[in-house]
Amino acid sequence: MTRVRVTAPRRVATGAGSGRGRAAAEARKAAEETDAGQVFVRALIRSQLRLGIVVAAGFLLIMLGFALLLGLVPGLAELRIAGLPFDWVLLGAGIYPVIGLSAWLYVRTAARNEARYRDLAGER
Amino acid sequence: MNPVVGVAAFAAVTLATAVIGFYGLRISRTTGDFYVASRTVRPWWNASAIGGEYLSAASFLGVAGLILLSGTDALWYPVGYTAGYLMLLLFVAAPLRRSGAYTIPDFTEARLESRAVRRVTSLVVVMVGWLYIVPQLHGAALAIRITTGLPAWVGQVAVIAVVCVTVMAGGMRSITFVQAFQYWLKLTALAVPLLFLLLVLAGTGTPAVAEAPVNPTGLPPAGPYQNISLLVALLFGTLGLPHVLVRFYTNPDGQSARRTTLIVLGLLSVFYLFPTAYGLIGRVFAPGAAGAGQADALVLLLPGRMIGGLAGDLLSALVVAGAFAAFLSTTSGLVVSLAGVISQDILGGSVRGFRLAALFSAVVPLGIAATTDSTALAGSVGLVFAFTASTICPVLLLGIWWRGLTDAGAIAGMLTGALACGGSMLAGAVLGAAGTPSWLAQPAAWTVPAAFAVMVLVSRATRDRVPRSITRLMTRLHTPERPLVTER
Repeated sequence: MTRVRVTAPRRVATGAGSGRGRAAAEARKAAEETDAGQVFVRALIRSQLRLGIVVAAGFLLIMLGFALLLGLVPGLAELRIAGLPFDWVLLGAGIYPVIGLSAWLYVRTAARNEARYRDLAGER
Repeated sequence: MNPVVGVAAFAAVTLATAVIGFYGLRISRTTGDFYVASRTVRPWWNASAIGGEYLSAASFLGVAGLILLSGTDALWYPVGYTAGYLMLLLFVAAPLRRSGAYTIPDFTEARLESRAVRRVTSLVVVMVGWLYIVPQLHGAALAIRITTGLPAWVGQVAVIAVVCVTVMAGGMRSITFVQAFQYWLKLTALAVPLLFLLLVLAGTGTPAVAEAPVNPTGLPPAGPYQNISLLVALLFGTLGLPHVLVRFYTNPDGQSARRTTLIVLGLLSVFYLFPTAYGLIGRVFAPGAAGAGQADALVLLLPGRMIGGLAGDLLSALVVAGAFAAFLSTTSGLVVSLAGVISQDILGGSVRGFRLAALFSAVVPLGIAATTDSTALAGSVGLVFAFTASTICPVLLLGIWWRGLTDAGAIAGMLTGALACGGSMLAGAVLGAAGTPSWLAQPAAWTVPAAFAVMVLVSRATRDRVPRSITRLMTRLHTPERPLVTER
């Protein structure tokens, strides 16, 4: 396993280096200092925040749906799936795939947003 | 239970921890190693380590115990513990890693350019850490008492001693390996005995699984307010846990921080199926375990009760080993992150200072745990989540996503959350479980919005204090790094 040697805690990660590293530092500087750069940065932040909120809201709605389903449909608790009560299966196991799927969708879309930002901001 | 089983299991876990810790010692030499393993930990290792650190006494013992006591209402606990990571992934993981800060106080200081904010954050982080270590030690006391019959304090002192030696000797580098190992140990320790339990149940002809009709505690079932408030605490508390956040700095970049979190979600989802199964089996076949005030020991007792003989002893030993892995891993993770915060703020960030701070951060909660009584483990950890959700969570979320946050707003919000939530916890402790109204027993539903509101309003009122470097900071937090990882 390769590793970087650090001699003291740094408050802030530095992006120094040669070749690609220096080009990246310049690109970031341009993003920070020019108005055009900031337009792209703001758009990126907005789209990532919107994505996060949409995924979170979707997940919470599904969870609310589960809770309402169990609370409002009376016969469900007596239902059996492979000998196990339906409410246990739904809350004890059924929610986890929903969490995993939401997370996977988010990671994919967030990476896509960043790729689009890179194209727009001219970082290569 | 045969007392030798408990002692042997604890000794085995300690030995394994020490061996891995020693192996790590040889490669951790610099201050950077001690803090964050030099950011070269791979996603799978890192995710296993996060899982190992996160799955505490509350998850290993508490969830099953609470399910035994209150049935389906308790199922929200594991769901919330897992979904908290989803929130962390959505709003915190990548930007926090890109901030380049080592600890939460580092982040708030860099974001708000204020030493005062740093001090308040450090104070809150240390309180959260201590509050969170105490239930681990209560769990250790319970496990030692149940499995060996030794006095309860032996378990607490043993856990703190092992954690101090490991952390002071190896720092974060060895901790990463130890934690990753402990996730898989915990999973095995629940999965293998469960397999045997199911075989036994299938062999004896399983009676139809039915909900136990009795409510062993006599407490009324949780209403919708309590469930919602609990979920608020768990969803938003996870993203403020100091020992969880410090792990994200060990990812090489923001993208890998997200990938790591995705793996963690998978690992947690798999893990929580097992305590849920124990709880269900316990509710149907051993509802008596709850009556004696030791519901949290259900996981430890079930294999011995239902299988018995040598096989039962061996399986019990495995479960006990898993339980101690849970106490050790969470406690050491917390001690590492607390020691990082304390040593940087007070002792100047040297390796020697880190060791001193580790000792200090471990001994104080030992004192608290020795003088307080254990309640339901999952419940008391749930309250710690409410506390982080009302203090650290608002400052992180607003700091990452809102340019308008100011130092005055951050301090006012954190103090509001800490006082409101801390006050509720104290009032709940004074009034006792039966006398506490539900809005004090589960305060998150109002303390979290209150902390957010105060933070936003005070920031609006002190608009001129927005740091000048805000544009540069927001750019760093949210734009992807170049693949610097390839540059060694």
